[in-house]
Amino acid sequence: MSDPTQSTSNVITTDIAVHNLSKTFGTRKALDGVSFEVPRGAFLSVFGPNGAGKTTLLRILATLSRPSRGTLTMLETDALQKPEDLRGSIGFISHQPLVYGDLSALENLVFYGRLYGADDVENKAKELLALVELDHRANDAARTFSRGMMQRLSLARALINDPQIILLDEPYSGLDPHATFVLDSLISRIREGKTFVMVSHDLERGHALCTHALLLDRGKVVAFDLAENIGIEDLRKAYDPAMLGGVLS
Amino acid sequence: MTAKAKAPGGWQQYCALLGKDIRMELRTREMLVSMGVYAILVLTIYGAALSQTASSFDILSVAAGLMWALILFTSLLGLNRSFSHETENSSLEGILLTPVSRPLVFAAKATSNLIFLLAVEVIAVPLFFIFFMGQAELGSTTPLMILPIILGSIGIAGIGTFLSTLTLNTRGRDVLLAILMVPVVFPLLYACVSATSVALLGIEGQIEIFWRSLLLAGGYDVIMLAASWGLYEFVLGS
Repeated sequence: MSDPTQSTSNVITTDIAVHNLSKTFGTRKALDGVSFEVPRGAFLSVFGPNGAGKTTLLRILATLSRPSRGTLTMLETDALQKPEDLRGSIGFISHQPLVYGDLSALENLVFYGRLYGADDVENKAKELLALVELDHRANDAARTFSRGMMQRLSLARALINDPQIILLDEPYSGLDPHATFVLDSLISRIREGKTFVMVSHDLERGHALCTHALLLDRGKVVAFDLAENIGIEDLRKAYDPAMLGGVLS
Repeated sequence: MTAKAKAPGGWQQYCALLGKDIRMELRTREMLVSMGVYAILVLTIYGAALSQTASSFDILSVAAGLMWALILFTSLLGLNRSFSHETENSSLEGILLTPVSRPLVFAAKATSNLIFLLAVEVIAVPLFFIFFMGQAELGSTTPLMILPIILGSIGIAGIGTFLSTLTLNTRGRDVLLAILMVPVVFPLLYACVSATSVALLGIEGQIEIFWRSLLLAGGYDVIMLAASWGLYEFVLGS
C-alpha cells in the first residue's frame, strides 16, 4: 500500500495532522482514536454511515469543538493550543449557510470580511459574489435566496479570508442538478494549492473529487488511503450494516 | 507555511459586530417593537392597578420600584430575542469560525442590548412620569435618577447578555433566562431602586444613601461584567 500522506504532486508538507483524536459526548464516543495526515493540496473525502463521527471530526478541524483527547496540528500550528491563530486560514461550509437572512449577500460578506480583517473587503466581496454568480443579487436579502444560491453564498463567505484549508460538510445536500454543477465548477476553480476536507454521503461525487479517502465507522477509522486504493464498491459496502467492520480488512 | 497570523484589529471587529446588530435591528425592529409594546402594556396594567388606590396614596413611595420592575421585565423580553438572528441560520457559528475573540462578541452584543434597552427607556420612563407622576411633588434631585438608570441598564444588558448566551441552546430558555436573571441582578436592582427612590423623593440629608447605592450598583456592574467577560469563552465553547 502506498503512503497516503504523499500527495500526487509530490508535495510533502502536511497541512492537517490528526493523532489519536477522541471525542466523547457523555458516555458515547463520537470519535475514538482517529489518526490521519493530509498533505497540502490534497482533497480528503470523509465517508461513513450516519453516526460515524464525520461531522464531529469536521467541527473539531474547524476549531468549533475541542476533542476529549488527542492532538491536532494544522498548518504547523497546534490547533488545540492556538485555535485563534488558525481561524483566519480555515474556511468552513456547513449544512447551515451561517449567513444572516436579513442582511444582503454583499453585507454578509463585508461583515465576515471585517471579522477576518480582510483587506479591501468591499471589492473582495464583490469579486467573490461574481465568482459564485450572485453579483446580480448582491443587494438582495439572503433570506430570499434558494437553497442553491444560499450554498453559493456560503461558499463565498468561506472564501472571504482566502483560506488555505477548506472544510465542506455535505455541501451537495439538497442541491438541484444545476446548483450541483455550479458548486462542482467552483470547487475545481479554487482547488489549486488549497487543502480540502469534505464530508459526503454522495459516494460517486466524493470519490471522484478526492485524492485521499477516509472511511469512518462508529468513531473509528476503518480505512484511510489514496483514493485510487479505495474503490467505490468498498465505500458502498461500508454503508451496508451487514458489512460494517469488514470492509477493506 | 504556518497559519496566517494576520490579526484583525479588535476595534474593527467590535464595530463590525455592533454595526451588524444595529443594522439588523433597524431593519427588523424585532427587539425595539416587542420591548416598546410590552412596556406600554405594563404601564397600562400599572394604571389599572393604581386606579383604585385611596387619595392619600403616595405614588412617590413606590414609584422607583414600579419603574425598575418595568425596566427589568421589558429587558427580559428583549434579551430573549437578542440572539434570534444568530440562531436563525446558525450564524453564531459563522462568527465563531472567525478569529474574533469571544469576549469581544460579548462586548458587542452587550453594547447593542444596552443601546436598545436605553432607546426603550427613553420612551417608557417619560411615559411613566406622564401617567403616574403628574400630581406628585418631585424632589429637586429628580434629574439625578438618570445615573441609576444608566448604571442599572449597563448591568442588566451585560449580565443579561451573558445569561442569554448561557441559555441559548436550552429548552424553555425564555423561562430559564428569567429564573436565572432575577436572582443574579437582585443586588443591582436593590441598589438602583434605592438610589432612584432617594432621587425622586429628594429627602434632605439622604443624598449620602443615593451615592452609596450608586457605588454599590457601579461596583456590582464592574464585578459582573468582568466575570462575564472572563467566562464568555467557556460559555460559547460549551
